Amino acid sequence: MARDDAEDARRSAGNRSEPSRFAARRDIGPLHTDRGQEARGVRVVVGGERGPFKLLPQKKRTKRDRHARTRVAFFRYSYYDIAFKFFVEQVLDADFVALPPATKRTIELGSRHSSDFVCAPFKHILGDYIEALELGADVLVQFAGPCRLGYYGELQQSILRDLGYEFDMLNFAMLTGKPLTEYISTCKKKVNPDVSVPHGARNMLAVFKMIENLDEANDYYLANAGFEVVPGSFDRARAAYFDAMRLAACERDIAEAHRAGMEAYRALPTNRPGRVLRVGIVGEYFTAADPSSNLDLERKLLGMGVELHRMLNMTNRNLRYNEKNLRASISDYVTYDMGPTSSMTIAAALKYAQEGFDGVVHLKSAGCTPEVDCMPVLQRISRNTGMPVLYLSYDSQTSDTGLDTRLEAFYDMLAMKKERTR
Amino acid sequence: MMDCYLGIDIGSISTKGVIIDDRRRIVARTYLWTEGNPADAARRVVADLGSQVDRNAVRVGAVGTTGSARRLVGAMCGATVVKNEITAHAVGTTFLHPDVRTILEIGGQDSKIICVENGIAVDYAMNTLCAAGTGAFLSSQAHRLGVEVEEFGSIALTSKKPANIAARCTVFAESDLVHKIQVGYAREDIIAGLCRAVATNYLNNVGKGKQIVAPVVFQGGVSKNAGVVRAFEDELGMDVIVDADGHLMGAFGVALLAAEAAPRITSAGDASGNAGAQAEAFDFDALRSFEFATREVECQKCANRCEIICVFRNGVIIDSWGNRCEQGAVKTETYAKAPSSSLLP
Repeated sequence: MARDDAEDARRSAGNRSEPSRFAARRDIGPLHTDRGQEARGVRVVVGGERGPFKLLPQKKRTKRDRHARTRVAFFRYSYYDIAFKFFVEQVLDADFVALPPATKRTIELGSRHSSDFVCAPFKHILGDYIEALELGADVLVQFAGPCRLGYYGELQQSILRDLGYEFDMLNFAMLTGKPLTEYISTCKKKVNPDVSVPHGARNMLAVFKMIENLDEANDYYLANAGFEVVPGSFDRARAAYFDAMRLAACERDIAEAHRAGMEAYRALPTNRPGRVLRVGIVGEYFTAADPSSNLDLERKLLGMGVELHRMLNMTNRNLRYNEKNLRASISDYVTYDMGPTSSMTIAAALKYAQEGFDGVVHLKSAGCTPEVDCMPVLQRISRNTGMPVLYLSYDSQTSDTGLDTRLEAFYDMLAMKKERTR
Repeated sequence: MMDCYLGIDIGSISTKGVIIDDRRRIVARTYLWTEGNPADAARRVVADLGSQVDRNAVRVGAVGTTGSARRLVGAMCGATVVKNEITAHAVGTTFLHPDVRTILEIGGQDSKIICVENGIAVDYAMNTLCAAGTGAFLSSQAHRLGVEVEEFGSIALTSKKPANIAARCTVFAESDLVHKIQVGYAREDIIAGLCRAVATNYLNNVGKGKQIVAPVVFQGGVSKNAGVVRAFEDELGMDVIVDADGHLMGAFGVALLAAEAAPRITSAGDASGNAGAQAEAFDFDALRSFEFATREVECQKCANRCEIICVFRNGVIIDSWGNRCEQGAVKTETYAKAPSSSLLP
């Protein structure tokens, strides 16, 4: 018995931890409350006394000054930034975020954040938007609509939000077919609650007039700049015309700038040989008209001394678009409307062929389904009329070596043909 | 002293050169691999051509360059004419075959079709996004099969039943090919199937929508492959003409263009913009004695950061290109001429 006691005592002395373990076991009840207190302590450190547990530290949200003027940005689209600026400043009465010319970085940004298989305009526009947001834009405007571009606004919005940008999107593609009041209330909500409807409506007409003027001047430029006597004279006149248009603040300014600009164009000397090569440009809305998307194709062709025509512009596609009539002119080839610019592409190509043009260049972004559908029809027109068509597909490439080779060969072919059939 | 003209076609895989006399006959020809070094290939071509002619009896009045490295080699040689390969092929072929209607051309990395009417090119197409069914594809598959690509044609002709190989895309064709090899198809059947795939792919992609009318001339390095020629004849149901000099046609065409341009330059009052062309004869040894270097410079004048390619001869810049605007224009020793000559008055 005594031995047992001694052994017990030795055991308990050897195992010092045992009593504490017992103690811990005994303290199970109160430990619960202890742990609870500890957890409460943690919550105090992270999230403050009130409110739920925060999983992520919250970003400090800068509060917008609600009375500041909204800064609105468009995507880059040829020279129409002039009309976009007028629209923002005179119709919406907000500040316009002017973007510098697109660079390689623009398309790199756009491609990095978009799906590989999406068409090139999406990538260009996304790159433009990122650059606009970097410059401090509050509202981005998207209006494209007739093909899958109509869904691109929403997609771009969610991509940009995922990237962490804070902005609002004025997406006119969401309002297509809705009454005018809807347009006005959306503009009020997103951009400027004090939009004056009478002033805005009046200046909207001025925007339309401005687009028509810009396109008219561009038609003159395309038809004549290839024959300039002083190198660069047409480009300088064009830049001066655009500068004057950018300064315009009302209809009268627009009319005056246009009159002066056209006069300057007409005063430029040109050396136009009797038989010139005439080439028409047809194709997809964005790629065919935007120089930074088509690697400055028009300037390359003008540099070779070619007269250019392009039916596709905002005047003909947006303001005066009459699809039924266009389709009637190509009824030998087409029964149905195939897409946003298909009828115009085919009608323009056929018109150029009937007017005896030497060739047509067809531009599209790679994988543009409506324009791919146009190609068999264009091939038929080409076969029936003997007018060659050059097909070009663009993606986000920045090297123009391949384009130069094809354009040069196309030009040589047309020139030799013209020379021999004299 | 005989007036001669030199044409060089620097492709991605092979470099071709010819010298033609004043009656437009080929007096010297050469064909060798570019081996990824166009400057060196041009040097070897010029040396080889120089050894084939009597240099004391020949005076090279003008040089033309074509192919994907035309600009670089043009700057090196001081070429009178720097022309794209499509025009060069059309010019060369229509000179030799005035009645030709369709020119098929398959080279190392690109393929093209040119439609001709009354001796004038009226339409052309070039492979755009994909290099399927070109010479590079054939030679990589030859490597896989352990055959020299030069033997392909003769092996293919021995096949009685060509294997069916998907033609749409190189990747699919390759996996199809591997499958057929592993299943145990005879090698000649696979090679013949491959030749067939090249022809079908070409007609489906490049030739799509084009009317192929006889007489048809087939050119480019792949035209030396009898198996592909046979496949084209079967597919088209017509004879396909292959020239002995078919692979040199680009060089021949640009030599013709150089010959045409040469007398215009010596005559006064030339308005075609070909200023800066040398009046003195081309020196065969010049290329060897000079040191050429290409350097890429990133222009810092604006945000676009164009890559400007500068070519130096013995440390002196002779040509540059790649700039998108005037700001990036580099001053060169000789005035760099525009690659496109205005053919219209």
